[in-house]
Amino acid sequence: MRRAWWGILAIAGTLFVQGCETPKPTQDLLAPTEAQMKMRSFQTRTFDLEDRHLAMRAVIAALQDLGFIIERANESLGLVTAARFAEPNYYDVVGITVTVRQETKERMMIRANAIHNNKPIEDPKVYQNFFATLERSLFVSKT
Amino acid sequence: MMRGWAPVATALLFSSQLAGCTTPSDPIELFQLTPESAINRAMQTRLFETSDQTELLSASAAVLQDLGFQVEESVQDVGFLRATKERSARQYGQDIGRFLIFVLSLGHAIIPVDLHQKIAAVLVERPVNPDGTRCEVRIVFYRVIWKGDGHADRQYIPPGEQHMEMLRDAALYQQFFAKLSKAVFLEPFTL
Repeated sequence: MRRAWWGILAIAGTLFVQGCETPKPTQDLLAPTEAQMKMRSFQTRTFDLEDRHLAMRAVIAALQDLGFIIERANESLGLVTAARFAEPNYYDVVGITVTVRQETKERMMIRANAIHNNKPIEDPKVYQNFFATLERSLFVSKT
Repeated sequence: MMRGWAPVATALLFSSQLAGCTTPSDPIELFQLTPESAINRAMQTRLFETSDQTELLSASAAVLQDLGFQVEESVQDVGFLRATKERSARQYGQDIGRFLIFVLSLGHAIIPVDLHQKIAAVLVERPVNPDGTRCEVRIVFYRVIWKGDGHADRQYIPPGEQHMEMLRDAALYQQFFAKLSKAVFLEPFTL
C-alpha cells in the first residue's frame, strides 16, 4: 500500500515538474504569418495625396464624424489615437490608432488599427467602413 | 409532471428577459455614419472667417479656461485641444429617489447615487478652404460620472462605479460658440 502511495506521489511530482517547463520559442516566433499579412492589407489604404498635413486633418475629421473622441495626435509622427463608447452601451469601448505615412511624393499610406474592449478587430468590413468615411472626409477637405 | 416544468419555464422566461437587457454592440455599425452623425456634426461645428489659426486656437483655450476647464493636451500643428473639469454630480432628484426607495424597501435598499463627474472637451480646428481663409472649429463634450456606495439588502455596493456619456445638449455648444465668437470678434457660421 505504501509503495503505491509513493508511486502516485512520484507520478504527481513529475507531472508538476513537466508543468513548470516552459515551451521553447520556435525559430519562426517573430516571423510574419499569413494572418498578419492579411490583417495588414485590409488595415492599410494608399491615397493619391501629396499633403500629409491635409491627410491627417481629414483622418481627425473622419474620426470625429464617426463620434470618436480624439485622445492624442502627433503631427510629426502622423499618429492619431481615438476612442468611443459603443453607444448605447457605455460599457464597451472601441479604440483606434491611425498612422499617416508618406509613401512616395504623391502617395500617402494610411493604416488603422482598431480594438473592441482590448481585443483587436479583425473584421475587414469595419476597416472598409472606416476608409469609406475617410474618403468622404478627404473629398470634402480637397474641395 | 406539470409542476416540474414550471420552474424550468420560469427560469427560461427570466433568462430571455435578461438577455434582452444587454445589447451586444457590433463594431461594424460603430464605423458607419448614421443620420445622427450629421446632426451632431452640425451642432458641434462652427465656421469662422479667419486665416489666423493660432489666434483661433488660443482664443478657444481661453474660452475653455473661462468655463472652468483645465487644458490637458494641445497640439498646435493639427489644431487640437483637450480640456477637462471635475465637479460634483449630486442631484436632489436622485437623493429624493434614494430616500423613497429606502423607505419603500423598509430600509433594505440604499441605491448608489452620482457623486462626482469629470467633464471633458475635445476641440479640433482646421482650415476648410484651400486659401486657408475659413476655419472650422469642432468641439465635443462628454462626461464620466462616479457613483457613491449603497446597500442591497445585506450586500454592500462599493463606491466608484463609473459610467460615461456624450453631452448632446445643443445649448451647451451654443454657449461655447457664443463665447468664442466674442473672444475672436468674429461671427460664426453654421454648416
